[in-house]
Amino acid sequence: MKRYMTNTQRKAQLRNRTVMISLFLFIVFVFVISMNTGFIKLSPLELFYTLFGFGTSEQALILFEFRLPRIVLSILVGMGLAVSGAILQGITRNALADPGILGINAGAGLMVMLYISFFPSMNNTPIFILPVLAFIGATAAAACIYLLSYKKDEGISPVRLLLTGVAIAAGISSIMIILTLRLSPESYQFVATWLAGSIWGSNWKFVLALLPWIVILIIFVYIKANVLNILNLGDVTAVGLGASIEKERRLLLLAAVGLAGASVSVSGGIGFVGLIGPHLARQLVGARHQILIPTSALVGGLLVLVADTIGRWILQPSEIPAGIIVAIIGAPYFLYLLTRLED
Amino acid sequence: MLISRKVLVSFFSFLFILVGCQDNVSEDDPKEINDNKVDEHVLTDAMGNEVTIPANPDRVIASYLEDYLLALGITPIAQWAIHDGASIQDYLQKDLKDVPTIPYDLPFEVVTSFSPDLLIMSSADMVEGEKYEQYSKIAPTYVLDLENNSDWREKLLKIGEVFDKKEEAEQVLVTYDGKVKESKELLKESMGNPSVAAIWLVNNTFFIVSDKVSSGVVLYDDLGLEKPNVVEEISTTATDNWSEISLEKLAELDADHLFLVNSDKGNGAKMLEDPIWQDIPAVKKDQIYEYEADSAWLYSGPIANTQIIDDVMTSLIK
Amino acid sequence: MIVSSHLSVSKQHRPLRAMVILIVGLVGLILAIGLSISLGAANIQLTTVWTAVFHHDPTLTTHQIIWEIRLPRVLGAAMVGACFAVAGALMQGMTRNPLADSGLLGINAGAACMLAICFAFWPSLPYMYLILYAFLGAGVGAFIVYGVGSMSRSGLTPMRLVLAGAAVSALLGALSEGIALYFQIGQDLAFWYAGGVSGTTWMHLKVMAPWLLAAMVGAMFLSRSITLLSLGEEVSIGLGQRTKTIKIIGMLFVLVLAGAAVSVVGAVGFVGLIVPHVARFLVGHDYRWIIPCSIIYGGLLVVLADLAARMIHPPYETPIGALIAVIGVPFFLYLARKGGKEI
Repeated sequence: MKRYMTNTQRKAQLRNRTVMISLFLFIVFVFVISMNTGFIKLSPLELFYTLFGFGTSEQALILFEFRLPRIVLSILVGMGLAVSGAILQGITRNALADPGILGINAGAGLMVMLYISFFPSMNNTPIFILPVLAFIGATAAAACIYLLSYKKDEGISPVRLLLTGVAIAAGISSIMIILTLRLSPESYQFVATWLAGSIWGSNWKFVLALLPWIVILIIFVYIKANVLNILNLGDVTAVGLGASIEKERRLLLLAAVGLAGASVSVSGGIGFVGLIGPHLARQLVGARHQILIPTSALVGGLLVLVADTIGRWILQPSEIPAGIIVAIIGAPYFLYLLTRLED
Repeated sequence: MLISRKVLVSFFSFLFILVGCQDNVSEDDPKEINDNKVDEHVLTDAMGNEVTIPANPDRVIASYLEDYLLALGITPIAQWAIHDGASIQDYLQKDLKDVPTIPYDLPFEVVTSFSPDLLIMSSADMVEGEKYEQYSKIAPTYVLDLENNSDWREKLLKIGEVFDKKEEAEQVLVTYDGKVKESKELLKESMGNPSVAAIWLVNNTFFIVSDKVSSGVVLYDDLGLEKPNVVEEISTTATDNWSEISLEKLAELDADHLFLVNSDKGNGAKMLEDPIWQDIPAVKKDQIYEYEADSAWLYSGPIANTQIIDDVMTSLIK
Repeated sequence: MIVSSHLSVSKQHRPLRAMVILIVGLVGLILAIGLSISLGAANIQLTTVWTAVFHHDPTLTTHQIIWEIRLPRVLGAAMVGACFAVAGALMQGMTRNPLADSGLLGINAGAACMLAICFAFWPSLPYMYLILYAFLGAGVGAFIVYGVGSMSRSGLTPMRLVLAGAAVSALLGALSEGIALYFQIGQDLAFWYAGGVSGTTWMHLKVMAPWLLAAMVGAMFLSRSITLLSLGEEVSIGLGQRTKTIKIIGMLFVLVLAGAAVSVVGAVGFVGLIVPHVARFLVGHDYRWIIPCSIIYGGLLVVLADLAARMIHPPYETPIGALIAVIGVPFFLYLARKGGKEI
């Protein structure tokens, strides 16, 4: 194969490689800035020393216990949401699909909220249960949306799918608000922050709870990249090519729901990442999912990391939830895409 | 108009979080116990953590427990504040004026920047979501969580235990009870048994204190003053120390004397011009005593309660 | 010509039925208002309500309570409902968009965002001026949504507008939250999703009333033209209507109505969606009947919602917006499923 690569292919490969490397370098760059962002100032030199184990114990504490887990979480959440969006866009052939807009995140949130409200002592709950719960909630929401937007003779039109998702998300949010009023004020506070999308669990336990989901599912999706390519061509072609289309589609949908649910269980209601990540990635590397999936992951991780860093920096020592910042960037982007969407 | 209400609600959430009463299940967190030094002692806190209290902790952060600390003669290195220090416990400022503030939610890095040697958390909610582990890496962290979080006597004794100052804590209680007894007799002599209520006006909304918390304990339990029906009724359903009360409910308030904490003084306190407010019996009789927002009425603790008693005495006995 | 004869045919049997429906609605509204006044922290008998309103005796505390607290509140609720409903009816008629609603199309979010800005920068601004800013904000929201909608490749379809509205609401909501956090004017983010009329005073009503009256009388004057517009732009032009002018004037009324309502109750959605559809079902397609019907039934809906909000979990109040959304979302899904073909 390689031997006969044409000039354009070689060029494309080179470009893709450059894109991936520059994205990676970008992440490293923001990573370093983010490590430097916080109430206590660490000079770049101190940071460097501390990273390699020569800092004071206080510096080590700040870096390794407070800042690093949060940075890592932001990146993981961004990756999860972006890949989830990439899958959804691929299997629905809908350029505006995003787990947040489609109400999947809201379903996950409702479940997490119900759990936290009815079993208020989080202290003895194993953290790894959260992503599982979120997954259940997200699946329920996804099923609702799928059923409600499906029409016998027309299938699922992109716009109706989005519309149903938007409505379901609105409905779930209002149910959450009504429920919280009946609960104690601190759950109320929690849900309010959650709705705004704040990386709220920031320690290594949360990282450990989230990591397997992100790693396993992204690898799974990467393996299935070819299926996504085929599905993206349209059902007729896909059937013609012999993919057992419905089964594959459902598996991938579950993976997308799992990624979104798990991410949301620690990050709260961050929308638009699943929209922007894959779109920017497509602009950069094209529509082949083998390269699109990892690039989306990198863009998504970068996006949430930047948003969280800005959110921590503007209002020190208080914070603006990352979700708010992502929405301020993401909503205009959505509007822009909307003007270009064909029915 | 809506926003201002919300500020309040959220302020209440803060209060609630800070004094929240929740059952907590323990989490075993085996810690290395270093009993080489004689003076250190190990305590098990409300969450079942074994906490090694240093010999003579002198860099303590005990947010929203400053009252108790000061009563035991300990000055913390940082004091509770919300809104970037815009709201602090004004009634303690005589003793805390040189103490820097720390946000109520105790961000890790801000706590670290004080290099504390002991953290006392006023409730288990403060360390929710696995935060205990991180706090305990900054300094030994003792979580105070009583079955009844408004029981300030119990709280004082527990804190006394933490600092190995049990006798001092008991002494504070004895002094307080002496003052209560004296004041109670004096009140009975000169006033009989009047009914009273404490009301807080902030952002054009009235709040009323429940009977078992904050200044309610002082008025009804300690000083034995009569409780109006409205207070009784609201206390049974109240989830916060101070419950929002509508003007129309206030109209039913038949207390002889009202203590009003006016946090709206700065913006005109228009509610006090309302005809319904003017119709309340105690207001009509001009048996209403106004305090500024910096008074101790909204708080609880040995110092707050003592100040409340002083306020009651100067207001009722002229 | 065919159209006008069609109209005159329907006129013959409509007025009687429509009159009955209006009168029934009015009686219902008055009953609901009476009920709402009599139920509260202390229940008051309906007869007392009657005497308090018509033989007011300021020395009686009960009368004072009714006059100073409950009456303005319930009237506020009725006015707000009427505003949202008429705004919705106008929009649905003018744009022939069955999914038009000031909440769904970002107009409420615009007004709310502007109010947040006012609270942040001019905290002591009198309500008289505040309401003007609310109109302005409503205009900004509408402008963005319609701007994006009309930039679309396939034009202003109802669903596209709703999606644009959802994105603009998300953006403006995030901005409002950001402002609220930054200026610490409301830690409680739930406000932006919720709403309530508990703080309404005579002052609000006095400022609001002239605007409302003007807009509603104006809407009545426009109603015939709107009926024609709702039959199609060509028909309307064919009958000699100046459609541009009508649309601009109609839109101004919408902004005034929605802005005024939001300045009292917050960004509550779905009232303007539900009520005009119900009205159309009850009195047919003639806006001369739909608009008065929307006024009455819109008022009724919000008065009842406010009553429910107080009754669900006393002494706490459930946000009206969340309550109405719980009815509104299924209704919206039903309309969206129909595909927005009928109006």
